[in-house]
Amino acid sequence: MKQFRKMTYPYVAWISVMIIVPMILILLYAITTEGNGVVNFNFTIDNFVRFFSDSIFLEVLGRSLRVALITTVLCIVLGYIPAYYIAKCSDGIKMKWVLIITFPTWINMLVRTYAWIGILQNDGIINTILGWVGIGPVDMIYTEFAVILGMVYNFIPFMILQIYTSLSKMDNSLIEAAQDLGANRFQCFWRITFPLSLPGVISGITLVFLPAVSSFCIPKLLGGGQYVLVGNVIESQFLTSGDWNFGSAISLIMAIIIMISMYITKKVDKTEIGERASA
Amino acid sequence: MKGFAKKAAALLLALVMVMGLAACSKESGSTGDGANAGAESSDKKEFDSKTLKIFLPGAYMEDSLVPAFEKEYGVKVIVENFDSNEMMYTKLSAGDSYDVLIPSDYMIERLMKEDALQPIDKSVITNLSNLADQTKNLVYDPDNTYSVPYFWGNVGLVYNKNNVPKEEIEAKGYDILKDTKYKGHIYMYDSERDGFMIAFKQLGYSCNTDNEAEINAAYEWLVELNKTMDPVYVTDEVIDAMANGQKDIAIVYSGDAAYVLSENPNMGYCAPNCGTNKWFDAMVIPKNAENPKLANEFINYMLRNDVCEKNTMEVGYTSANKAVLDKMIAEDGEYADNEAYYPRTYDKDEVFRDNESLRKKLSELWIKVKAAK
Amino acid sequence: MKKEKRVFSSIFMALMVVFLYAPIIYTIIFSFNSSKSLTHFESFSLRWYEKMFNDATMIQAVIYTIVIAILATIISTIVGTITAIGLSKSRKLVRNLVEQVNNLPIMNPEIVTAIGLLMFYSAAHITKGFLTLLLAHIMFCIPYVILSIMPKLRTLDPNLADAAMDLGATPWKALTKVIVPQIMPGIVSGALIAFTMSFDDFVISYFVTGNGVNNISILVYTMSKRINPSINALSTLIIVIITVFLTITNLIPVIAERRMRKKLKKAQKK
Repeated sequence: MKQFRKMTYPYVAWISVMIIVPMILILLYAITTEGNGVVNFNFTIDNFVRFFSDSIFLEVLGRSLRVALITTVLCIVLGYIPAYYIAKCSDGIKMKWVLIITFPTWINMLVRTYAWIGILQNDGIINTILGWVGIGPVDMIYTEFAVILGMVYNFIPFMILQIYTSLSKMDNSLIEAAQDLGANRFQCFWRITFPLSLPGVISGITLVFLPAVSSFCIPKLLGGGQYVLVGNVIESQFLTSGDWNFGSAISLIMAIIIMISMYITKKVDKTEIGERASA
Repeated sequence: MKGFAKKAAALLLALVMVMGLAACSKESGSTGDGANAGAESSDKKEFDSKTLKIFLPGAYMEDSLVPAFEKEYGVKVIVENFDSNEMMYTKLSAGDSYDVLIPSDYMIERLMKEDALQPIDKSVITNLSNLADQTKNLVYDPDNTYSVPYFWGNVGLVYNKNNVPKEEIEAKGYDILKDTKYKGHIYMYDSERDGFMIAFKQLGYSCNTDNEAEINAAYEWLVELNKTMDPVYVTDEVIDAMANGQKDIAIVYSGDAAYVLSENPNMGYCAPNCGTNKWFDAMVIPKNAENPKLANEFINYMLRNDVCEKNTMEVGYTSANKAVLDKMIAEDGEYADNEAYYPRTYDKDEVFRDNESLRKKLSELWIKVKAAK
Repeated sequence: MKKEKRVFSSIFMALMVVFLYAPIIYTIIFSFNSSKSLTHFESFSLRWYEKMFNDATMIQAVIYTIVIAILATIISTIVGTITAIGLSKSRKLVRNLVEQVNNLPIMNPEIVTAIGLLMFYSAAHITKGFLTLLLAHIMFCIPYVILSIMPKLRTLDPNLADAAMDLGATPWKALTKVIVPQIMPGIVSGALIAFTMSFDDFVISYFVTGNGVNNISILVYTMSKRINPSINALSTLIIVIITVFLTITNLIPVIAERRMRKKLKKAQKK
């Protein structure tokens, strides 16, 4: 199938210009000192040292990874059921469900997040309903709960889509065969359906985890500012303090950490697939 | 499903084409209008081109002012908005060209230092005399060589008069933010500049200090506040939140406070005795402006009494125009009883100055303040 | 047991829909609020709709957003599909490398991508406007398409295309008639995500656009700062546009089918 390889050439050329060149500029900022307008060549590793020598930055980074991880796990758990449900629907209904799930993401994220502020507010809808049944106002807005809720809300459609994609058009004969051989529903799911959907889960993780680590808008609005994540730090370096060098360095550090964790995830995926193949 | 996909694709394509056409025809239509109108009044003035590009904060100008200017001068105005001075600076330094900008004082000072502005043409801007005395000859631009004030105000505390006694807030100033009685009931403004200004002022320093010990003292002050008071850091959400009385005390810009007070009669405004920040947003013309002549005309237009009046009535910020200002605060004026609308003249109030290294330092410390648990 | 399970999953789906649509319904309700507040409903009014329709920049932003989103989706879906298929046949090293680079725009905070592109455009002296905006959107949309298609390709039998060509299909036929239908769900979800990303992007768009070309997100970010419920009206308008569009595309096949049936019945009667 070598003739199909050529099909990647245009994209390779494209990413070289549109992704790699800008990334080189960012890299240059990260390893040089001062100067936004013109890149000058005073190489330094100060920006990296500055990040690692301060416990607060490490704390922020750890918190971001933790929040992103919780969000990702919740998205998988809560997203798998709808994805499975949709994949089992008849063809005509499938598409409608997919649209129902994606539709909310077409409304501006900021508008939806503002709506959550109103809903979660101390005198918002949820607390009003809770008040009717006699439960006093529960503090929801400006807590970690609100931040994670906002993140899950924002990212779960992507997870559902990815898992659904890998579940649909799955070979049902495999499951039937397993059932014929006496496997119960749980075994069927765990040994056959889940491993087969794993590639979808992995791209779902990529689509949720990566942007979740660096998100800055949701923690800012729903976390009330004191919930600082690494995305906020990077954003403020670029947009308020104008320290592009430090901002670039932090984003590189983050990119490297994420690449390593994605590499590990891929490894897990491969061993799973390997097992399946050898089984 | 395949059939569906095909049909959807066909429909989408049709939609794009229709919309694209609409966009194009709209564009050519409006420039056409501009040209026609220009022909009618071409004897009035000759400009380098018929387009003026202005760049200002979002929702910072009354809607009808630009169309009226377009009609009167037979030109087309492109309005772009920014979200913070720094965002504007980033776009500007990447080479984007605009004719009129409306940044804040310290940003104007920075642009002046970097030689990014051109002097205004005082022979065109004859309405310069309309300016109120408080907004003339400011410290960063002593002769108004480069900048013409647009809106101005200060920073202060908006408080719920039912829960916070006026005497207490006046006596304590910004220290009330550390009174544990109000724990969990305060909004801080999420900006390193304003956050540190509060601490500097309360501790009796200048808000432009770069003295290491004073910065540290302010940092400790803010960290303690963060730890003991459980504040919520917000930016413009504070306006709606305070208008609805969500919390008792908040740091608010006077212009926004004027809106809050007019919406919610329970709210009061107090600029503390320890002094506060006084700010000015002003119109400037960048060096790389493509149409400086028209830019000067626009600035002159924005200083007209009728224009200023409309603008301040809609936006709610304090006008820099003397006649309008007097009218607004006169007994039967729109803002007669509004304590936030008219900024006081007080020798402890300061304007922010541009200081790049200080800015970077404060920005890093501000993250630490908020992250400290 | 089976019934129980169906009840459980139906309830779960209902809850999911409530979760996903609660903020949207909230937005729609507050677009009819007579006061400026986004959290307190006073009384019903259409003033924000009036304000929106009188605001030429808002309507223009809607048009730009839709045009850009559709163009970016179509282009990035086509390019992404082609690339993904090519990648699945490429050597492992090339594949891994391209996949890693491909992840960069997804992984980087938007502001980093935005600044990178901003510097790139200004270094290359490209005037910012519609075209730069479209190029940037295509740039960050393609990775999502590739990411959605790759897992489908991985589970695909690698010999499928070979078999088709052995049977005399041209490579083009093998591609369009064999591979593409198999990975269709991946292409559809990739296109949907690309559309979402383009429709909803603020940070990158803000820095790469110019000349008064705005999209909805730019308006929302720069205007809603000081409460502006016409943003809610705008969102409601978009909901209506999309709903109408989806209903039409869903109704066309139904109507067509009915007509066919009627014709058949008539033919039978005769």
